[in-house]
Amino acid sequence: MPVKSYKHIASLLAFVAPALIIYSLFLLIPTIGGMYYSFTDWNGLNANYSFIGLGNFIEALREDPDFVHALLFTLKYVLFMIVLQNVLALMLAVFIETKTRSKGFFRTIFFMPNMISTIISAFMWTFVFSQVLPQLAEKTAMTFLDQLWIGNPKVSFYSIIIVSLWNGVGYMMIIYLAALQGVPQSLKEAAVIDGASPFQSFRKVTLPMITHAVTICLFLTLNGAFKVFEVVYGLTGGGPGRSTQVITMNIYEEAFSNNFRYGYASAKSVILFVIILLFTFIQIGVMKRKEVEA
Amino acid sequence: MKQMSKGILVTFLAATLLAGCGGNNSGTAGNAAGDDTNSGGAEGSAKSVTLKMFIAQPRFKEQYDKYIAEFVKKEKADKNIEVTVQLEMPTADNASQILKTRLASNDAPDIFALHAVNEIPSYYKAGYLEDLSSQPFAAKLLDSVKPSVTTTDGKIVALPLETLSWGYLYNKKIFTEQGLTPPATLTEMKSVIEKLKAKEITPFVLSYKESWIPQLVLPLAVGAMMKTQDPEFVNKMNKDEGSFTEMKPAIFDIFDLINANGTAKATEVGGDDGAAAFAAGKGAMWLMGPWYAETILKSNPDLDFGVAPLPISDDPAATLINLSASTSLAVSPTSKNKEVALDFLNYVLDDQASNGLFQAMKFNPIATVHTYESYPWITEATTYVKAGKSVQDPAIPQSVKDEVGKGLQAYYAGQVSQDDVLKALDKAWKSYNKVNK
Repeated sequence: MPVKSYKHIASLLAFVAPALIIYSLFLLIPTIGGMYYSFTDWNGLNANYSFIGLGNFIEALREDPDFVHALLFTLKYVLFMIVLQNVLALMLAVFIETKTRSKGFFRTIFFMPNMISTIISAFMWTFVFSQVLPQLAEKTAMTFLDQLWIGNPKVSFYSIIIVSLWNGVGYMMIIYLAALQGVPQSLKEAAVIDGASPFQSFRKVTLPMITHAVTICLFLTLNGAFKVFEVVYGLTGGGPGRSTQVITMNIYEEAFSNNFRYGYASAKSVILFVIILLFTFIQIGVMKRKEVEA
Repeated sequence: MKQMSKGILVTFLAATLLAGCGGNNSGTAGNAAGDDTNSGGAEGSAKSVTLKMFIAQPRFKEQYDKYIAEFVKKEKADKNIEVTVQLEMPTADNASQILKTRLASNDAPDIFALHAVNEIPSYYKAGYLEDLSSQPFAAKLLDSVKPSVTTTDGKIVALPLETLSWGYLYNKKIFTEQGLTPPATLTEMKSVIEKLKAKEITPFVLSYKESWIPQLVLPLAVGAMMKTQDPEFVNKMNKDEGSFTEMKPAIFDIFDLINANGTAKATEVGGDDGAAAFAAGKGAMWLMGPWYAETILKSNPDLDFGVAPLPISDDPAATLINLSASTSLAVSPTSKNKEVALDFLNYVLDDQASNGLFQAMKFNPIATVHTYESYPWITEATTYVKAGKSVQDPAIPQSVKDEVGKGLQAYYAGQVSQDDVLKALDKAWKSYNKVNK
């Protein structure tokens, strides 16, 4: 028996080895290297550097108001994205599900923005915000359209949300659509026969049946929103000043444009990693308990 | 069992494949180093050398290729050395990342390009730059460009290619129509602005979407102050003794004046949009250097514009053109073909060939061997330089320049006060000192 189980493991290893080698070479080893550098004061250039323990982490959380601001700004963004992206995607999915003939058409239309790369859609929207909307305001006298959509930090947060939603809702919608199609028709019919209103049947029958999709979508949104970069980079560049800077941009700036403090920037990345890990674990744990089988 | 051994075999194959990719580089390096057999002039056995170059200017590939071909011919004729040049031209965005990785992993190119003012200090400190002071080309450099490639201990470590002389740009057509000349003091600037406004011409184009544009006011103000009142400012800051509060009037008097008389929606206008606005005559002046000339002329080929020094106070002696250098060539001290690398650098400032190269790339003259005619705006800036109205770009750390850009953006958007900006700058410089001690 021991011989057989050894053989079993060996063949298993042999099969995963090609993928595992590439995975560890290009992801695992650099990640561990990055974690190691987060304990040093390496500047990305010097051949020698010193080990400074938790110094970077303490500095990031205690003495770096920009980092803390970026962290809070990102949390706000994550909150808005989780709620809005999922609610909108679910609404769209339910709406499309009720259509019979035009289903394919609407599905394509709403999914299309997702096929455009995020940075390109950010640049497209920059044009819309800074050129099209002011012109529109001039022609149609809708003066509220003529404002600093990306130049005013109070408004630009919502501009960022708008573009992110435009880009991301389609993907979540497809997942919800697939889940909705998996809800057995018999359950819905039974609910209708029992006299449930459409809202009640959605709330009590459909929603519990698609909890697994909600889990996935929440996970994807949570994960993606914490790591947001391109949209903000393309729209505002974090500006004016640092008012719309997200964590990833703060890290990028620290590593590649300020004092090239690679070690310090790595420490910030590790903090981000830990935050995402915690949030995701909690979210998955909570959602898993709510899932039901048909 | 057979299947398992097959699986292992596949794994091995994949591993060797990957290893093969990695080994490639060291192979060529060894090749270049291995050819040490010197031929004492025998025709058949020419010494062959592979020279690795790293120049982040892909837009000039043709010009460099042509020039390198000429160099190879010359080296063969003069010294009987067969030179093969591996020219690497990444885009400017990630070039410094690639270069740093190379240098840190002991895989330095023989010749590489770097930014004179921003990168020389840290690269020199890390020991990645060869001392070039004794090379023949060093003597040919103009006195106005020499300081930007000289280290604090007086060594010339690079050959500047791109140099800049700048202040702000002004629309010559508007200025002559209104009978104006570039002002020499802040008060004169105010009267120019009044006259322009009386004719309903917006005095300044503002473009603050990219933070490096508002940042431009800092080198101008600090440079002017260092030349007139405060020559030790940078040294004091490097010793943690100075403070930007000394610079408060110099920076904000002119910055506020520009902002109060500029185009609207500045935080949504980037460099290219600003160039288009300036080219269309939407403002008479633009706080920008002549490096945007090409973009401006692309959107309006007939625009007549000039470069003038920015007044920062009522002292006309503080109204100065800023001199600086960007792309420069350096030689790695670990290069195995140092002799050939140095030959190339000297050839870049060759008495005959150099003019052609610099003219083809539209760079400014940097050495005594350069005799070609440059652009009208460069000539205009040069007249200020010749009259002594110029100052070397102050050695402000890049991180402080980034900080001031962000700070002034936020200041323009009304989020922070002048003192907040200056405090943030002091902090940025202190942390620069801490990191680079």
